[in-house]
Amino acid sequence: MGRTYVPGTVVLSVGTKRGLFLLTSRDREKWEIRSTAFSTGRVYHAILDQRAGCRLFATDNGDIFGAFLRYSDDFGETWHEPKQGIQFPESSGQKLVNIWVIEPGRPDEPETVYAGVDPASLWVSNDRGETWELNAGLANHPTRERWGPGFGGLCLHSIVPDPSHASRMWVGISAVGCMRTDDGGRNWVFVNKNVRADFLPMVYPEFGQCIHRLVQHPTRPDILYQQNHCGVYKSTNAGDDWIDIQQNLPSRFGFPMALDVHHPETVFVVVEDQDGRNNVGEQFTVYRTQDGGERWEALTRGLPGGPGVRLGVLRHAMCTDTEDPCGVYVGTNTGQLFASRDGGDSWQLIADFLPPIYAVTAVVVG
Amino acid sequence: MDSATLPGITVFFPGALRAKIGNRSSVLVAGHTIREVINALEHDFPGLRFNVCHETGELRPYVNIFLDGENIRYLQGLDTPVRNGGRLYVLQSVAGG
Repeated sequence: MGRTYVPGTVVLSVGTKRGLFLLTSRDREKWEIRSTAFSTGRVYHAILDQRAGCRLFATDNGDIFGAFLRYSDDFGETWHEPKQGIQFPESSGQKLVNIWVIEPGRPDEPETVYAGVDPASLWVSNDRGETWELNAGLANHPTRERWGPGFGGLCLHSIVPDPSHASRMWVGISAVGCMRTDDGGRNWVFVNKNVRADFLPMVYPEFGQCIHRLVQHPTRPDILYQQNHCGVYKSTNAGDDWIDIQQNLPSRFGFPMALDVHHPETVFVVVEDQDGRNNVGEQFTVYRTQDGGERWEALTRGLPGGPGVRLGVLRHAMCTDTEDPCGVYVGTNTGQLFASRDGGDSWQLIADFLPPIYAVTAVVVG
Repeated sequence: MDSATLPGITVFFPGALRAKIGNRSSVLVAGHTIREVINALEHDFPGLRFNVCHETGELRPYVNIFLDGENIRYLQGLDTPVRNGGRLYVLQSVAGG
């Protein structure tokens, strides 16, 4: 019998430049760090899916022998490849570069898992990740030839299946923007109104925005938040238009974003100096709004500061758990992992000397 | 021509790929060209071709294949003919140093 954890254990899946680590805790204060058998590939994302069993998915973006999605049913001790993995049809002329995100489907579709990759495309599995199919509606979008990559590539990194609307989903693509389908993926429309693209001649184009992360309000599904290359935004109408909620944040630029599912007006971001891609000034800071973006507060208690502090956080490297008060977890691109168990009020370093952290996801074992 | 008359060739793999071939270091396959050898490997070990080639069929940039000591990039690439009893090495190139 493989490894198990008692219910209530918080499991952090930490994807890094060199493999996947699991951190576990019963009290969110003392943490156990464990390497998994997955120790070499670039893990851009990993997530533990508890909807039908307990399956850990991870992306293995190898430097030499290709990009693969893998899964483990024993918390990372052994890994399996899908029967039919993510590979473009030869006739498409496309080559898989990296797998960026794995997103479990809606609660009422426990066999369904989605994946986003570079070159920007959406993949779906309806058998818990055994076989994968390319979403043709997005792959054949009429504007596709005019899509251009961001610095990280032409990557589809955010997938939001609407739990209240079986045919509605949003995706975030750098540097294309936010797109929505209302018919189960047959057709996709751009939903980028009022989102800036300061690096283009026309600041408010239909598409071409560099969205960095997209999250949904858990109980009011038409409310979305996005951290963009050019600001932080909120939509109250399913993305039809966006409201700039930059307010008092010290920079528009940042990657990660997470929210508190019990208090969904509480959102966390880590904005950065755009040129240095690390903390603004000399204090590493997580920013929190508790009123849906009217005002942001700087959270620093327990986070490092000083002349040598230059920490960056990548797009998937911050998350929350589902406890109340929520845990917040932030991994840096220099291998530190900070955790808060009081909604961001205070922080502790729970791991150091990891490889550069690409992704952190949290699950409370059910 | 049936497979009994195809040239037989031994293919050696790096450690990173040995799990794909039953934790062996080499396998014996048949084919007239490198491309046919890779197709035969895919037949015997489904999924292995994607480690070596992109979906489009071209060799991955950091994968080197040596046939009897010669890098196939400087021969005829995947169309390089193989001889019976040949030795083929699949290696990762020196990248980053």
